[in-house]
Amino acid sequence: MSEILKVHNVTKSFGGLTAVHDLSFDIRKGETVGLIGPNGSGKTTLVNVLCGSLYADSGEVEMEGKLIHQLPPHKRCHLGLSRTYQIPRPFPELTALMSVVTSALCGKDRINRGLDDAAAEATHYLEFVGLFSKRNILARDLTFFELRMLELARALATSPKLLFVDEVMAGLNPGEAVKAVHLIARAKEEFGLTIFWIEHVMAVLMEAAERIIAIQFGEKIAEGTPEEIASNDRVIEAYLGAGWKKGNCS
Amino acid sequence: MVDVEVRRDRIIIRYQGKKWDWILEPRYWRNTLIWSGFLILFPIISYFVNPILLNTVITANLYAAVAIPLALMTLGTGRMNFGPNFFIGVGGYTAALLSIAYGWGPLKTLPFAVITTLISALLFSPLVIVARGLYYILLTLLLPLVFMEITFIYTDIFKGDVGLAGIKTLVSTGAVKVNFLIAAFISMFLMLLYLWVVNKILKSRYGLIMAAINDGEEVAHGIGVNINKVKILAFVFASGMIGIIGWFYAHYFGTFAGITYLPLNFMIKILLVIFIGGRAQVFGCVAGGYFIAFLEMILIVTLGPIQPVIFAVILTVLLFALPEGLFGLYRKRRYREYMPTLHVRR
Amino acid sequence: MWDTLQVVIIYSLILGALYLLISLGFSVICGVLRIFHLGYAYLFTLTVYLTWMFMKELGFGLIPALLAMVVVQFVISYLIYKGIIMKYLAQEEIILTGLLLISIVVEQVTNYRYPIQAGVFINTTLIDGSTEIGTAVISNQLLAGAAIAVLLTVLFILFFLKSKTGLAIRALSQDIYSSRLIGIHVEALYTLTMFLILIPVIIGTLMVAPVWAVDPTMGTLYMTTAILVAILGGLGNIKGTIIASFLIGFTHSFVSFVLGEPRFMNFSALLLVIIILIVRPQGIAKSEALW
Repeated sequence: MSEILKVHNVTKSFGGLTAVHDLSFDIRKGETVGLIGPNGSGKTTLVNVLCGSLYADSGEVEMEGKLIHQLPPHKRCHLGLSRTYQIPRPFPELTALMSVVTSALCGKDRINRGLDDAAAEATHYLEFVGLFSKRNILARDLTFFELRMLELARALATSPKLLFVDEVMAGLNPGEAVKAVHLIARAKEEFGLTIFWIEHVMAVLMEAAERIIAIQFGEKIAEGTPEEIASNDRVIEAYLGAGWKKGNCS
Repeated sequence: MVDVEVRRDRIIIRYQGKKWDWILEPRYWRNTLIWSGFLILFPIISYFVNPILLNTVITANLYAAVAIPLALMTLGTGRMNFGPNFFIGVGGYTAALLSIAYGWGPLKTLPFAVITTLISALLFSPLVIVARGLYYILLTLLLPLVFMEITFIYTDIFKGDVGLAGIKTLVSTGAVKVNFLIAAFISMFLMLLYLWVVNKILKSRYGLIMAAINDGEEVAHGIGVNINKVKILAFVFASGMIGIIGWFYAHYFGTFAGITYLPLNFMIKILLVIFIGGRAQVFGCVAGGYFIAFLEMILIVTLGPIQPVIFAVILTVLLFALPEGLFGLYRKRRYREYMPTLHVRR
Repeated sequence: MWDTLQVVIIYSLILGALYLLISLGFSVICGVLRIFHLGYAYLFTLTVYLTWMFMKELGFGLIPALLAMVVVQFVISYLIYKGIIMKYLAQEEIILTGLLLISIVVEQVTNYRYPIQAGVFINTTLIDGSTEIGTAVISNQLLAGAAIAVLLTVLFILFFLKSKTGLAIRALSQDIYSSRLIGIHVEALYTLTMFLILIPVIIGTLMVAPVWAVDPTMGTLYMTTAILVAILGGLGNIKGTIIASFLIGFTHSFVSFVLGEPRFMNFSALLLVIIILIVRPQGIAKSEALW
């Protein structure tokens, strides 16, 4: 399988604080890769750097052979990178339909596409996430779960190849969480996506991810299948402290 | 090259892989046509009643015609430009200087006025990207004031305090009153043209992209919108439109002095056309333009030298008393854009 | 060469200090209230013309007129704060336009009542005559003004850094919500800030009024300088404002004495500000805080 994203030695500091330190990993096409780490380990900073909201201090990011670490965010979007946000950031004054139409319109440089065509495509994505009935409601009037679904629809409407999912479980009750996971799995299958999933809820990643990367203080501490990660000493130490290592419990 | 296809309810225009739908909905044209009809009748009536009214109509049209591109610029760049009269100065002085130096008529100076305005807008366009909200406001506030200072410094060229005279006028038929009437119609045509163009832009995909940028710049950038390009384009395009009004002022009056258009007093009138007329709603600009022009005229005629004071006080009061502007009063009685939903809070 | 350099340096320092008096209030208001007090210009006009009015119309002496003017200014500030700023804090454009309108109203009223021919003059000269420092000849009044400017700035800095109220105001400027949570009385402190900035402005205007021009449009001129200094220094940052005042003082002196074109003062300052903004978009200041 070919690599869709290669991250080489990316570093990002804010003043004296190094948020991401010399991080390298690969993502292969069609995979679901998870990213875990305790709070403050630099997960969201990493996603910001990969997507273009921030620029890396050093290191390279390569997508399908092209160096993208110096491109502005919209060019990365045109190449196939898309993300959802940890706290949903909708366009408050636009309706749900119009929000998705914007990303359908601008997500890719397509020919022969007018506003109506983009609207038709947008309704397809809205229906996919289950928001078709709410399409004319302003984004600021939607419930939290609907906002998450809108985020997903907006990201999907740019026809991405690689989708960054940032803590989509946060704030959802168990019923909604199940729906969200199923939706992402369906999206991956139907649209042929590669998914990079940042998450705190382990149970989700255990099932959904094929490979998990664990980071702490901006550095990679482990990488492997979910089972390997769950029994990895350094990961346990990062989350629970050194006293919980096997053999240390009295 | 450009392919136009006419269907039953729309016209489709295709050019270089891009496609624009122009949906024809005659039922929405009714109100606009009625109001435009009134507006066009107005100069004709004024012609027979009193020529002062014609001048006021022209002033009103021009105020509205500056406010409309300013509204576009505000929506497109996401910030309020506090110095749109800078571009009036650029356009007007170009037209005036060319006309005086080479004796060109209005049609010949028009393209040059537009080009200089566009170039100066391009020159200052980094402000739109670099300067954040309040910095942008302050710097655009200063631009016309500094330009005015330059006209005073290079007074041999610009004749800062007195103003340039001898510019070829727009129309010269024999009768002065007929000149006024024709100028009134040209200004009306300009204003309605601007209204139509800006309204079309705001209702199209470009308006949608601008709204998205205003709602969340970073998010819009992430979904593929080239925010810098949109902002600069909005800024430059709107400036060009404002420059044309400067050109009109120069040729209409036959004289052009920076001190009339560049100081704060003129700028605040334009801003208030937007605020009192209806915030950033293009149709409100027309109402605001007419309101302010006629208010000014009435005060000048009735009050004399104390007019600037009372005018400023009235405008201050109105700014705070009408949060949605005059057009807001009109809209409130008709319909709301959407119905807020009731949903069960967790 | 050395002579011109002396003149430039001395005038940079003097002008810088005087600009500091004019701009400190604007910068602090922007930093604390996080709004642009675009009506700042009216403070200059009111200082001079109110005093003149009290002296001419009501026959006050100089000192009583000054005191009356200060009282009226405080009242007007309070009314503006309560009536406009508090109500429209959320709608920025309305505040900006409204405040600008107020300064225009003041300018128009002043122009109507005391047009430029009326010969308004306030005799607040502290020291007469002029001194020679090196090759520069400076009016003593300006020297005194500069000295007072430095003193006032130091007092301001001490207030904001050392006193409890100053600390509260600094906290307020950074986060209103958290400040309320820890019991800082937001409205009272805002009002205090509005009163506080009146002091350097009034003193500064009174210092320079006898020397520099007095006319109804003086507000705009001083305001332009204040705006440029504030933007250059980074809005609301006192350290940045100090550096920016002297930078702009230097630019003005340079343009006046080396290039010999005093009319280009404002234009050159604007160019400087734009260039520095392109290189460093937040101005000279390192942080968004008051110090």
